[in-house]
Amino acid sequence: MMRAVYYYFERDLVKWLRGKVTVISSLVMPAAWLIFVGLALPTKFTENYLEFITPGILVMTMLFSSLQGGSLMIFDKILGFLNKFMAMPSPRESILYGKILFISVRGLMQATVILLIATLLGVRILNPVHIFLIYLTLFLFSVVFSALSTMIGLYLSDHDSYAAVNSMISMPLFFTSSALMPYDVMPVWLRALARLNPVSYAIDSTRILFQGGIPVQGLIGLAIGAGIMVLLGTYQFRKAFV
Amino acid sequence: MIEIKKLSRSFGNLVAVDNLDLEIENEIFGLLGPNGAGKSTTVMMLTTLLKPSSGTAKVCGYDIVKESKKVRSKISYVPQDMAVDRKLTGRENVQLYAKLYGIPNRSSKVDEVIEMMGLSDRAGDLVATYSGGMRRRLELAQALVHEPEVLFLDEPTLGLDVSGRKKIWEHIRMLKAEGMTIFMTTHYLEEAEKYCNRVAIIDKGHIAVVGSPENLTSSIGENASLNDVFLENVKTPEEQAGFNSTQFRNLLRRR
Repeated sequence: MMRAVYYYFERDLVKWLRGKVTVISSLVMPAAWLIFVGLALPTKFTENYLEFITPGILVMTMLFSSLQGGSLMIFDKILGFLNKFMAMPSPRESILYGKILFISVRGLMQATVILLIATLLGVRILNPVHIFLIYLTLFLFSVVFSALSTMIGLYLSDHDSYAAVNSMISMPLFFTSSALMPYDVMPVWLRALARLNPVSYAIDSTRILFQGGIPVQGLIGLAIGAGIMVLLGTYQFRKAFV
Repeated sequence: MIEIKKLSRSFGNLVAVDNLDLEIENEIFGLLGPNGAGKSTTVMMLTTLLKPSSGTAKVCGYDIVKESKKVRSKISYVPQDMAVDRKLTGRENVQLYAKLYGIPNRSSKVDEVIEMMGLSDRAGDLVATYSGGMRRRLELAQALVHEPEVLFLDEPTLGLDVSGRKKIWEHIRMLKAEGMTIFMTTHYLEEAEKYCNRVAIIDKGHIAVVGSPENLTSSIGENASLNDVFLENVKTPEEQAGFNSTQFRNLLRRR
């Protein structure tokens, strides 16, 4: 099972790395966000805005890249790969888990670029335990949303509708989160939304880690969320193909 | 090798496969029929990708619903879409399958099937540079890497040029000679007539006729071909719609 997951993961990774344009674009985009929003925005909501916004950009990058990831499953389905894989004796769920793993690892590579640039721009360097926990937080967060996007992708099986749904949920999720400003400067209605938004959980947890604390609640919450989403994804996947 | 008993599958109100009974021995078996007759649905049920609405089938002695995993370990399935990864090399494409099937001595087995399909000298190139015929042979190499007992091919020669098609058929014959059972669907009736041991013509989910190409054609008349057998047994919507040449000419003139 674990092996099959790895082989499916490896397939997507090699294919992605060979598409040079996609790799470069996915690494440049988050860096641009960090530099232009973090350094150039004229309004500052906090004193050290770059330090404040780095966790927000990290989580945003994971959010967008995991929501985009569902298209991988759509293409495998409409191009006939999925049928070939499903007719093999290796556990069928490993296709799904391989996808989630690849999407999350790809997101973490993008996150690494952001962390490096943030460090160069003067964001404090943290100790290894905190760095590890930041990666763990981002990984769990990505599992939640890559499982979701894969489920949406499998359900819709059509790339255009998928892209429409994707942009319909990604922007609102981002702008109603605590990514760009702290809760106390938000309008009341936005604050209420931001408190409910799962994206804020990940951002707040990452922020606590940047400040040297350990967000036990946030990590447990994300782990439970990830577990539930993977179970739901497995259920949908099994139901769709028996 | 394959026993199909009263197999049915419906999608909503549409009955795609209706009470199908068939027995397939160690042979090259061709399932023929017009578009939408239920060929692919049948293949997808036999390859455990689709659950039957009713009825059963056994592949290599295993039930396709209750023992689906065992069925999958005995078969290979090549759908008509030509699903090979363009950004991977030919060898990498086959290697993926060898890994997923858990083949021991992986690299020698991979080389062996690539050689068998005549792709050795291009195995290191990206599949993006392959022709349609080569991609199809690469898919066969993937399918052969775990030495299946039954090979399911959905339209294996679709969209290939004459020599590409001939080559695929030679490989299929060779596999049969090695003891493999081949279950395939096709629209090229001349090819089915030439290479299949037995064929069945399916229409609207029912088997119209089944038998060896020789028996079927000779029952129609001397010098008959499988095309005649097909047209005799199948009423396609195209045919029912008819073609009124006068009306068509008038339509053209009006423009």
